[in-house]
Amino acid sequence: MTMPAISVKNLSYSYGKLQAVKKISFEIFPGEILGFLGPNGAGKTTTLKALIGLLKPEGGGGQILGHAIGRDDPALRTRIGVCFEEKNLYLEMSALENLNFHAALYGIRKPDSMALLQRVGLGDRAGDRVANFSKGMRQRLMISRAFINQPAVLFLDEPTGGLDPVTAAVIRRLIREEADSGAAILLTTHNMMEADQLSDRVAFINEGEIVALDSAENLKLKYGRRAVRVRLRGGDGEIREELIPLDTKEGPGRLAELASSPDLLTIHTEEATLESIFIQLTGRRLAG
Amino acid sequence: MRIPPAISSARIVGAIMKKDLRLYARNRVYLFLTLLGLLSLGVLFWVMPDEVEEAIILAVSPPVKEIVEQGRAGLHELGFSEEKLMELERADFSNEESIELVELESEALLREVIAGTHELYRTGDGDLLVRNRAAGEKRPGDAHRLQIELGIVFPGTFIADVAGGKQSSVKVYADSAVPEEIRAAIEGFVRENGYQLAGRELPVELPEEEAIILGPDRAGTQDSLREKLRPLLAFFILLIETFAMASLVSTELLQRTVTALQVTPMKIGHFLAAKIIFGTVMAFLQGLLILLLVGAFTPHNWLLLFTIILLGSLLFTGVAMLIGAAGKGFLDQLIYALLFTIPLLIPAFAMLFPGTASSWIRMIPSFPLVGLLMGVTVDLAGWSESLPALAATALWSVLLCGASLAVLKRKVKSL
Repeated sequence: MTMPAISVKNLSYSYGKLQAVKKISFEIFPGEILGFLGPNGAGKTTTLKALIGLLKPEGGGGQILGHAIGRDDPALRTRIGVCFEEKNLYLEMSALENLNFHAALYGIRKPDSMALLQRVGLGDRAGDRVANFSKGMRQRLMISRAFINQPAVLFLDEPTGGLDPVTAAVIRRLIREEADSGAAILLTTHNMMEADQLSDRVAFINEGEIVALDSAENLKLKYGRRAVRVRLRGGDGEIREELIPLDTKEGPGRLAELASSPDLLTIHTEEATLESIFIQLTGRRLAG
Repeated sequence: MRIPPAISSARIVGAIMKKDLRLYARNRVYLFLTLLGLLSLGVLFWVMPDEVEEAIILAVSPPVKEIVEQGRAGLHELGFSEEKLMELERADFSNEESIELVELESEALLREVIAGTHELYRTGDGDLLVRNRAAGEKRPGDAHRLQIELGIVFPGTFIADVAGGKQSSVKVYADSAVPEEIRAAIEGFVRENGYQLAGRELPVELPEEEAIILGPDRAGTQDSLREKLRPLLAFFILLIETFAMASLVSTELLQRTVTALQVTPMKIGHFLAAKIIFGTVMAFLQGLLILLLVGAFTPHNWLLLFTIILLGSLLFTGVAMLIGAAGKGFLDQLIYALLFTIPLLIPAFAMLFPGTASSWIRMIPSFPLVGLLMGVTVDLAGWSESLPALAATALWSVLLCGASLAVLKRKVKSL
């Protein structure tokens, strides 16, 4: 049986009187991406900081790669990679210098920084000062920095936040590649589409609590409503839409009735989104 | 997945220092200020006068011989013999250690000299030359300028009046920059020499004076401005270094790059050690360089001076880290830097002025350091004389570094 790379039990953390994380528990297995989905202030980053050792958990704990959570453990830090939401790079150093410096902190004598930069599409800008990089370029460099020690566990905090669709797609591809090569990845995001596309499982976090945790598919099946959206032409020539829930008594009959109507234009299945499920579970929007 | 090898603390600290050196070298503002400081302060030192003018040069008009000549008839009537008058003509009223007299032909010339429109020069043969500066006359070569700020004009009947017990009026011209105390001293000088000219004793019996100098008597061998500047120059260089180091620390905090380091095998202790070592080494090298430029090292004092610079560098690095940890932006940092560094400069400025430093100045952490620099470079103090100040500087350095490490550690952890 595969052991989880990350195993968290009843983890709690408070900022003064505000309890930011309330006894959350989850596991992430090697090769798996767990999407931590929640609005700003839900407790995603606090959880991540507690796991990577920047915050000391108040209660609960767990293990990462067999090392206890919440301890100052350099041995564990050699095996994890972190991509922060804020672009904390050395702006006056080049991309290559940034990577080489971080590699030196891991004791890597001959880092293959150039190959990493080429992988994220920055090979031709390796010698340029980061201060001259665009937001997307800096984010790609942040990702490559998190990969420098070939980590077994990756913590990615909003890795595509505020990026253009093309750069975001590049970064998502890189994250998928790392997971495919066996890394366990905790991905915090409030981007529902990103969580849906990338994550093997999704944890909904709201006000410091995990309110649902499963694969996106299972969450949709469990919480989503089966429905079809029908478009019809009315007697006055106007086009109108009708949403028909299939799990009600009247639904199938109404659908059959409209399907035979000469006014029928189109029928679309109405699939539940993670966002709609989140709203259904928490009463809050993800972007809020 | 490859597990990276365990890494030694020395390599982590070394990697951070190498990175800091790279960033330091790329901070063009501080690099420029450092180079400019080293160069300009080095030059400033060598253009400063290395002699102390201890005597006041006093212009007198008319010349003494003329005063005696004008009063000759009256003095004869009062019973002065010709020998006595000739003795008066040859009298030297200057005081070798404090006052030197320069005799000028007319009151008008004396006024011009004090006002600065005319300049007086003395040649190697002792002749006086007058340069009309206002008329654009050239400076005479091979002669040195006499800086005259005070002058006395005696009336022609001065001797006869004083000898006859009459009231006489003497004009004292003074440049506006002459302090009140000096003017009062000159008035006393005029009174005393008036009686001497008239061949009379002073109307009061002056008590016998015995001056007791505590410590070495520096009369005639006082520290020149150049020598007094040494600690100040070293302090200015350390000040620029303090700003540069503070900027390096605050940038690391403000851009949160230190947070990225905390998720690597680096411990906060590595980070703090790297900052202290890097800052101390940079300050030490620059302090060393400026003291080399100003010729402070001798074969006897180099080890002691090395120790002093090292302790001073540690002290200023501690201050730099406090400033760096306190600032939340460039303006904050500037304000904190001024708040911390201006008090540290006070003892170095105090050294430029005569007198003993006030007790509150002695409480400033940099006071023993300034004393050490002056003592070792000027008074040629050795280890035994320097030990108390060395101990005090070491204590301040440890205290400031300890405080800065605690503040910085707290700040890093709170990010």
